[in-house]
Amino acid sequence: MRQYQRNATILAGAAAIAVVAGASFAQEIKQDAVKAARMAKVPSVGQDLLNKAANDVNNFLLTNGDYAQTRFYPAKQINRNNVRNLKVAWIFQTEVRESLETSPIVVDGVMFVTTSFSHVYAIDAKTGEELWHYKHKMGPITTYCCGPNNRGVQVLGDLVYLATLDAKLVALNSKTGAVVWETQVADPEAGYSETMAPTVVKDKVLIGTNGGEYGIRGFVKAYDAKTGKLIWTFNTTPENSVGVWAMKDATDRDMHRNIEAEKAQLAKTGDPYKTLGGGVWQNPAVDLAANRIFFVVGNPSPDLDGSIRPGDNLYTDSLVSVDLETGKYVCHSQYIAHDVWDLDAVSPPVLVNAKDRSGKTIPAVIHGGKTGHVYVHDRKDCSLIRFSDAMVPQENMWVLPTKEGARMLPGANGGVEWSPMATDPGQGLAYAINLHQPMTYHVESSPYPNGKLWLGGAFKVIPSEAQSGNITAVDYNTGKIKWQVKTPQPMIGGILATAGGLVFTGEGNGKFAAYNSSNGKELWSFNAGAGVNAPPSSYSVGGKQYIVVGAGGNTQLDFKRGNSIVAFTQ
Amino acid sequence: MMFSKRINVALVSGLCALTPAPAAAQALAEQVAVCGSCHGENGKPQEKVTPIIWGQMRGYLYIQLRDFKRGDRKHEIMQAMAANFERDDMLAIAEYFSQKPWPDLGQPRAPKEVAERAVRANGSVGCTGCHFDQWQGDGTVPRLAGMSREYLAKAISEFRTRARGNNPGMSDLMLATSVEDLAALAEYLAGR
Ligand code: HEC
Ligand code: HEC
Repeated sequence: MRQYQRNATILAGAAAIAVVAGASFAQEIKQDAVKAARMAKVPSVGQDLLNKAANDVNNFLLTNGDYAQTRFYPAKQINRNNVRNLKVAWIFQTEVRESLETSPIVVDGVMFVTTSFSHVYAIDAKTGEELWHYKHKMGPITTYCCGPNNRGVQVLGDLVYLATLDAKLVALNSKTGAVVWETQVADPEAGYSETMAPTVVKDKVLIGTNGGEYGIRGFVKAYDAKTGKLIWTFNTTPENSVGVWAMKDATDRDMHRNIEAEKAQLAKTGDPYKTLGGGVWQNPAVDLAANRIFFVVGNPSPDLDGSIRPGDNLYTDSLVSVDLETGKYVCHSQYIAHDVWDLDAVSPPVLVNAKDRSGKTIPAVIHGGKTGHVYVHDRKDCSLIRFSDAMVPQENMWVLPTKEGARMLPGANGGVEWSPMATDPGQGLAYAINLHQPMTYHVESSPYPNGKLWLGGAFKVIPSEAQSGNITAVDYNTGKIKWQVKTPQPMIGGILATAGGLVFTGEGNGKFAAYNSSNGKELWSFNAGAGVNAPPSSYSVGGKQYIVVGAGGNTQLDFKRGNSIVAFTQ
Repeated sequence: MMFSKRINVALVSGLCALTPAPAAAQALAEQVAVCGSCHGENGKPQEKVTPIIWGQMRGYLYIQLRDFKRGDRKHEIMQAMAANFERDDMLAIAEYFSQKPWPDLGQPRAPKEVAERAVRANGSVGCTGCHFDQWQGDGTVPRLAGMSREYLAKAISEFRTRARGNNPGMSDLMLATSVEDLAALAEYLAGR
């Protein structure tokens, strides 16, 4: 933070110079503290281009590659045979030295990245030169869990869309970084904040919310992409959140619920939906043909104390599908009813074609859970087809949290945290990065605290037990683990697969590496000097393919901070 | 006894300061005039159990004043102080103090064993996941580095007993941490 503030002063000076240089939009600059060093020559991005993102070997247009969120990049100039020659093309240093979780977006040689505290940079994707810098003027009140992160932007038409820590949605001019419109998504004083990248599709900006640690009522909202006007809201906790009193989780294990006590509580205090949490931390997958979106909903509030929120707590810890036009509910599938471990659903779902139980290939949707399973669902009705072998050790599931602390694996960060998975449709594989952090789960009861931190207890890492991580390839047609690479530290960030037969991912110790996507063999690595805890992207410019990733460390796991965006090519 | 006598004096001067003034800037100046008598004219509090508010996070200062006003955080004097403030006053006061420099109380660095214990305890609960790696805070999360040891100890113990009930999440985290670890953290943070 000290570093951060010192840099802010330098920035103010630079902005003043920019005002002179860019006189034609001087007014926007003054209002929004935009630094427009140069115009970014970005073409208007049409919906057509976005629809075809999965086959685009030049651009990286959506946070997770394409609307299906496959994170499978179709270029193969960089491949198994030559990846060992990969070298740094450029390193861009941002002015914020704090957690980087950004997915770089690339449009026609212009890259857009974000940093902690909701800054946006436009960078020349070939040279690494800064084109403009938007520094969000943060409101006085921010309430957020797990770091001041931002996971990126999306571009549609001439606008760049950003969601901010003070729970605003902002549309910027893609050429200059000037604010075109801004709208308040929710009240930060009530525990809402934004760290996810918006998904923009068919003139709608889709955005979820954080706040499951603050007793919010979660949602996905759709805004008009041109005006910022609200179109629909889907509340993730319906007025009847009780459900079916499920005794078992999606993998058929007993959750030891005391249904009688819950029913008595329900009679006394009613449905808890208004403060039930249910954040949506990550992007929805868009089924363009069916005009539906699929997203996962996070934990109920308070995290560990179920006694005051009777029922299944729908739709927390669930995969949910709604209609893109109207936001109306279509189907859901709950992984853990009445979760008291925060082993919720965060990693963005991916649309694939997968075998159903009869062996027929059908439109499916998969999710990597904090439980350590990859879940495979039928897109038609959300129903669960299968779940994978556990990718991390599971012990003592589902022991209930106690005052003194009960040990259970996985720890509350997973399994798979917010980190997006990658897939390789040709091989039928999903690639997930996992954490192994032995923890004890503690429960304490307290009433709803008006938007304050509301954990209902605590998760504690057991200091004497070793932590680790892994990269796991799962065959989503069978649920079997194809290969696994162990890493010395828990993994958080993301992963990218490419048509070059590779997967790229980073670690908290600064290592960024390429692996053979069929067997996990390490083929190349680089140390970035700070935690590589962000999802990589790829693009091509001037006939050359690049791989790019942020190295800024991670607040939540306290991995070494940095401020670099590193691009590699041959 | 000493303490309560001084409180009365402060309350009286506080009431004077709160008479409405026409200009907003003037009103702010009058509103904050009284604060220095306890929180320090130069930012160094008069008493060790009074927190530093100079250079503290703007969002945090606002939320505390709001909580005192609502009665969510209990403290007779501070509740009386905040009772007459409107939301805009509290935001302005918070901004005013947040822009002042954080004072150096000159507290000693914690000895090695204490620091190690504190770092280990942090590793288990992840205090810096919210308070940041330099314990500088942000937004509604307070800076802790360099706060007086006595105030930190008091705040921690009142979270534990829920005497400070305005953030049950912090209470839960404190209850999940041993008293010895928390004492080490208070000493370690004071000396940073
Ligand atoms: C008579 C002494 C006194 C005066 C005058 C006073 N305070 Fe306080 N203030 C305290 C004490 C003591 C505490 C610690 C309360 C506790 O222990 O919970 C405190 C706490 C606070 C806090 C919470 C800080 C934290 O770290 O949690 C804020 C903010 C604050 N005061 C602001 C003000 C402002 C603004 C004024 C002037 C309008 C003011 N105070 C006037 C004694 C005073
Ligand atoms: C999940 C986020 C989070 C974590 C983890 C956390 N804190 Fe806090 N802490 C807060 C917030 C938010 C506040 C402000 C409380 C309020 O609203 O009054 C706070 C307040 C405090 C205060 C009171 C400061 C003052 O000026 O009164 C102390 C002391 C403190 N925390 C110490 C710790 C310690 C020690 C740990 C680890 C054992 C810790 N915190 C872990 C978020 C956190």
